[in-house]
Amino acid sequence: MAQTSFYLEIITPERQFYIGPAHALVIPAVDGEMGIYPGHEPVVTAIEPGELRYENEGVWESAVVGSGFAEIKPDYVILLVGFAEHPEEVDRKRAEAAKLRAEERLRQKQSIQEYYHSKAALARAMARLKIGRH
Amino acid sequence: MASIKEIRTHIKSVEQTLKITNAMYLISSSNLRKARKQLSDVEPYFHKIETTISDILHHSPEIDHRFFDKRPDIPPERRKVGYIVITGDKGLAGAYNHNILKMAEERMAKTPNSYLFVVGQVGRSYFTERGIPIDGEFLYTAQNPNISRARDMSEVLMQLYLDGKLDEVYVLFTNMINSFRLEPTAYKILPLDPDVFPDYEENRDCYNRDVTYVPSVRAVMDRLVPGYLKGVLFGAMVESYCSEQNARMTAMKSSSDNARAMLQKLNLSYNRARQSAITQEITEVVGGAQAAESF
Repeated sequence: MAQTSFYLEIITPERQFYIGPAHALVIPAVDGEMGIYPGHEPVVTAIEPGELRYENEGVWESAVVGSGFAEIKPDYVILLVGFAEHPEEVDRKRAEAAKLRAEERLRQKQSIQEYYHSKAALARAMARLKIGRH
Repeated sequence: MASIKEIRTHIKSVEQTLKITNAMYLISSSNLRKARKQLSDVEPYFHKIETTISDILHHSPEIDHRFFDKRPDIPPERRKVGYIVITGDKGLAGAYNHNILKMAEERMAKTPNSYLFVVGQVGRSYFTERGIPIDGEFLYTAQNPNISRARDMSEVLMQLYLDGKLDEVYVLFTNMINSFRLEPTAYKILPLDPDVFPDYEENRDCYNRDVTYVPSVRAVMDRLVPGYLKGVLFGAMVESYCSEQNARMTAMKSSSDNARAMLQKLNLSYNRARQSAITQEITEVVGGAQAAESF
């Protein structure tokens, strides 16, 4: 019997973003987008800041997520990410400002640690801007 | 019996103290409400990240990765152990700070090479007073725990661990089991040890196949472990903060109650003293009058 849906959990430190069934899922993995259907082989993968989409009852929902990781099982997918937001929750002005700030910081001399922080901040801002546009 | 004036000053001072303890009680109870909310938001994440990591570890028998390196060739007496101690910023929270500091000292006494990392003002001043050197200072207050602080802390510790400056890292924090039971807890965060994670619910364990790592074990672990550490530290800080507020609230409530009971007693003895003074005065007046009459 083929499964038609799996159980999806998207959890962030601030809230439980989504818990419920899903028929398909597309996540921004490290090496590009990754699609998941029910019955997927067990996989553990890392997630980069970007856009995430999931389908439930024929409706595609999208969300912007921060970095984290995913544990995938045939009937169960759990995503633990730094943040997750619906497109309508994204504050474009704030993301824009954060992007400028991060770019400005990247232009200046800084330690490797700071460089990574700025890069991560830039990635988050870009992810928000990308999905907030729709 | 104490004089009326003495009792009055005593009453005044108790009233002043009561005002303070009562205000602190109100403040900490409102802080607690906030902290509770944060805790209930964080807890699912904290719990999930733990079970997921445990799940992953149980499904991948041998992971050859730097975060899993137990460094067995280093004898116990030369192992460098780091302790992150999470205390409060202020005292007057019952046994909250004392318990966690006692635990830290016990732990440190057992390990010859211990390194101390302290969060919170109380812990800082305690160890400085004792002349115990603090090796890493997270100059943060314990209030308003947030993710970026947890990130900074986990980065520092990971770097120390990877550079071989620390062989094991523990976090000592106060776990709030319920509002009456606050338990100081030590949690091993580095290296990751599958034995630390208990086997949990069987129903999720029905996949006996090993999991695949996309794109590779190394790449996944390089991202997963920092995320895990960040989550654990954040959870520990939130848990501690919530415990602190809870401990303070309880302590302040009982001291306010004590102050009220004391006031009642003092008022009673004040009234008695006043009454006896009046009685004495009347007796004196009457005695004086009788003496004048009989004269």
